[in-house]
Parts: sequence; structure tokens; C-alpha cells
Amino acid sequence: MSGPPGSLECPVCGLRHLAVGLAPGEKARCTRCETVLARGRRLGPEAPFVFALSGLILAVPACLLPFISAGKFGDQRVSLLFTGVGALWDNGMRALSMLVLFCGGVVPVGLLLALAVLLAPAWRDPSGIRRRELTRLATFLERWSIPEVQVLAVLVALFKLGKLVEVRIGPGFWCYCGMTLLLLLALRGFEISHLPGGKANPAADAPP
Amino acid sequence: MKRRFLPAPASGNATAAALSVAAALMLIPANLLPVLSTETTGENRDDTIFSGAMQLWQHNLAPIAIIVFAASIAIPVAKLVGLTWLLLATRRGPARRPLVLTRIYNLLDGIGRWSMLDVFLAAFLTGLIEFGEFATVRARAGIVAFAAAVILTVLATEAFDPRTIWNSQPDNRPTPTTP
Repeated sequence: MSGPPGSLECPVCGLRHLAVGLAPGEKARCTRCETVLARGRRLGPEAPFVFALSGLILAVPACLLPFISAGKFGDQRVSLLFTGVGALWDNGMRALSMLVLFCGGVVPVGLLLALAVLLAPAWRDPSGIRRRELTRLATFLERWSIPEVQVLAVLVALFKLGKLVEVRIGPGFWCYCGMTLLLLLALRGFEISHLPGGKANPAADAPP
Repeated sequence: MKRRFLPAPASGNATAAALSVAAALMLIPANLLPVLSTETTGENRDDTIFSGAMQLWQHNLAPIAIIVFAASIAIPVAKLVGLTWLLLATRRGPARRPLVLTRIYNLLDGIGRWSMLDVFLAAFLTGLIEFGEFATVRARAGIVAFAAAVILTVLATEAFDPRTIWNSQPDNRPTPTTP
């Protein structure tokens, strides 16, 4: 299903539209099913790349620094981002631990990396094949990347623990929150689906 | 074409229907079995998803209880009800009121991820609270069934082809986008 150049296909209903320029903050909706197809950028064209790169930098301390520390009767326990993954693994719930590892850590970082490469101003890919493959990967990763849910889960846990133990938020958690915010900002300022090979641009599925 | 994680079914939305049924079945053990056990000095407690949310409510944490209830019970059920509606409406040819169905589809697609809240919560608490006999939290079998149910609902939404809502609807030519 290939459309003429400069056309966008609604990923929900399949109607083809001619791509037009948008003013900052303006939304383009499908004329048939009203799904939002694109948003006019409020920031410069390189902002999503900067967000993705900054998110990647924050991912390093988010993984290495203390996430949350808990104390009970003088005994202190420091938890890192992936401590829960190890505990579930030891508990015999290996598939579940891999799910948590992927959705909360590997996939968001992989998505930031894919976005940073796709958006890098210096990246050249004359044939477009690698760009298409990377777009497909980013489309898949976007669905399974849920660091914002992990942030909410930690906040709920802090309330839930209440009087059971004394908890202290560590720098790793703040870095993780920053990484999550930057990932969401990068995705907000840039539509993966519009790249060749993305959902709204399947015209590029055809071999070059 | 909509890009899929799963191969396209031979006809219609058969894969989406099968995954929805599997998710509905998985929600039964997910809600009946304990998801978390808490051992503190002199007290052992097993919590299901519902009793965990109720415990928050009883501890005067109503807003948190509502978040947990919405993510863990309301969203998975709403997703299954919505998917069933979409599947029934598109069973024979073009659907009536396609705009309403499209909005439901977009909503289901957006909210599904928040159901993973309880899975992350269980993993986080299991890793953090290990103080031997003073306080220990462990994930239990229910959380595995719950995670399976959430994944199955996400895959079911992905397997559902929203174009079936609009098939045979008029106006399939390129038109300029309207802001």
C-alpha cells in the first residue's frame, strides 16, 4: 500500500492525506476518524534530538546510583533500579523479572538510543535501509517502553510503605524521573510514525 | 498497513478475539490469587489486587487507592469490554458509528500501559523490603497471572486492525489535513 510522495496515511483508519506545514502548537487530525496525525513543533527541529541525548546521559546515573533506601531498626537497605528484577529472579519468577527489566529499563534506554541515532543531524544513510529498520525498531520499542508507569509505581510504593519502614529517595530515582520526562518530551516533539517505515508512512516499505 | 507484533490473521480480527479471551481467562487467577505477601513481626498478610487497594483506602490513602484500583482493576476490565465491543461491531462488514468506535480504540490503545503499575509495584517492594523477620515483602503467583493478562490485552489491542471499523466507508482518497 504505497501512497504518492508527500502523503501521510492515518495509522488508524488508513485514509491518505497530503502533508501540510503546521504552525507551532497546531494539530493535524485525520479528516475521517479525527485521530491526531501530527502536532506543530513549539521548539526547534533539533530539540527532540537534544532531549533524547540528555535522556541517555541521565540513564547512566539512574542505573548506577541509589534509587531508594529503606531502614528498619537501624538496618539500612539501598535499592538500585534493578534490585527488584534480581529479587523476582531469585524468587523463581524469571519471566516476570525479565518483563520488568525490559519495560522499565532496557526498552526505554533502547528507545532513547534509537531516537538519538535517528535524529542525529550528522547521521547519513543514503540508501535509507538502516533508517527504515531503526524506525521499525523504535515503533516496537515505543509500545513497550513504560518508564512513567514505573515512576508512578515507586511513588505508590512510598505511600504504601508508610509506617512499615523509613524510606529515603536516592539520586538514582530523580535521574530516572528526568530520563522519563526527557523521553516523553523527545517523543512529543517528533512523530516516529512519519519516518519512512513508520505507521503513517508505509510507502517506504517497498524496496528502494 | 498497520505494523504488527504478531503475524496478520487469516481473516478479520480472529487473533485479537483469541487474545482477548485468553486475557479474560488470565484475569481470573490474577484477581483470585494473592499478588503480594507481607511479613512483619508477628503478622503475616497475603494481599490480592483488590485487598491491596482496599488496604490503602483503609489507611486513609484514598487517592492512592483510587490510582491502584483504576490501573489494576478498572483499566484491564475496561479494555476487555471495549475490545469485545469493537470485535462485535466489526464482525460483519463496516461498523455503525465508526467515529465513536475509533475513539474507543484510541483510548484503549493509550490507557493499557498503566495496568503494569501493580507489576512494577510488586517488583519494587520485593527488592526493597527484605529485613528478615522484621519486614519482608514477596511477590506471589497472582502477579504472574496479572502480568500475563496485561500483556495479552496489549497484544489483543495491537492485533485488532482499526481499519476494519472503516472498511467500505466512503472517501478513501487523499485529502489535505485540517488542523
